[in-house]
Amino acid sequence: MDIKEIQNLIKFVAKSGASEVKLEMDDIKITIKTGGEERDTTTFVQQIPMSAPVAQTVAPAASAPTTAAPASATSEDNSKFITIKSPIIGTFYRKPSPDKPVFVEVGKSIKEGDVLCVIEAMKLFNEIESEVSGKIVKILVDDSSPVEYDQPLFLVDPS
Amino acid sequence: MRIIKLNAIDSTNSFLRQMSAEEAVKDYTVVVTNYQTNGRGQMGTHWNSEDSKNLMFSVFKDVSFVNIDQHFYISITVALSILKALQEFNIKKLKIKWPNDILSENKKIAGILIENVIKQNQLQGSIIGVGLNVNQTEFENLPNASSLKLLSGEHFNLDELLQVILKHLKMNFEILKSGNFQALKADYEELLFRKNKPSTFKNAEGHLFSGFIIGVSNSGCLKVQLEDQIIKEFDLKSISLLY
Repeated sequence: MDIKEIQNLIKFVAKSGASEVKLEMDDIKITIKTGGEERDTTTFVQQIPMSAPVAQTVAPAASAPTTAAPASATSEDNSKFITIKSPIIGTFYRKPSPDKPVFVEVGKSIKEGDVLCVIEAMKLFNEIESEVSGKIVKILVDDSSPVEYDQPLFLVDPS
Repeated sequence: MRIIKLNAIDSTNSFLRQMSAEEAVKDYTVVVTNYQTNGRGQMGTHWNSEDSKNLMFSVFKDVSFVNIDQHFYISITVALSILKALQEFNIKKLKIKWPNDILSENKKIAGILIENVIKQNQLQGSIIGVGLNVNQTEFENLPNASSLKLLSGEHFNLDELLQVILKHLKMNFEILKSGNFQALKADYEELLFRKNKPSTFKNAEGHLFSGFIIGVSNSGCLKVQLEDQIIKEFDLKSISLLY
């Protein structure tokens, strides 16, 4: 779980109005308390057992869908989906140009090598090709909005 | 090197992209046309040109040796190559307006549209589209546009221009491949329009401010020196230069 996902989680908890959320995954335990008016006690603890250092590298893949899950307010298991992330900082475009149709829609089947989106940075237009085949489950970013490095863009069901 | 000449096409970039999706395209495959029916500029803007008067071409370049963090260096390499080629034809006061417009005597004479393909977080191919105003002499409603003929009074051979530009592209991509980023960047910065001159900029909120362009960052942001020697980096969305 990286710092960005933790930040997103904190934001989500703060918005939800809950006063305390405890989350335990394989090797990570996080407690977020949204304090009263007097002070903002947002704390988190990340525990990595010495005995299982390998588990840490597994965690990020599983944790991205976990943060997305509360937003859709269902208990559906997103871990079987693959998250496609932005390789660069830039602006996310779903169309090759404003008067053209979008590259992909939710529900559309894609195959490896299909263009999913364009990320523009400093007038360089980068077409992002899919590394997987499957079906688009969710598009996580709006057209023409800025994206950060490693920000999740698409959820793909590879099955 | 393969050069494909077409009388007319919607867009040389689109043609080459389509071709590269269908077959393995060789490095430096060039598509050149006399006329584009749907020439593209940045993100949907149009690039219009009179028939057979200007140089419009796209080059396919293998850029798999460029790290994704350094993709702005493709832009630097291309802009430099065009400018250096035009210097050979004695075009005067050539400058690069950040990030990649080519100016002569403060007028835009060439535009560049670079489209990269990224797969598995790695750059694969780059489709480099260039539109150069050569023998066209009328630019209706485009006060900032000009052409080689308007600037020099001479008529230019389009094939010859293309060959010289390709020569410089190859030379500069060799420098890029050898890893000498700093040489390319230093050249590029030296040729930046309004470098070290007091300039006025507009930020995303529409406010005007002044500063000096001093260079670019590795990611392509414009470095501007503000009051009190503060140096700030701006991306394309957060700044525009007034001139």
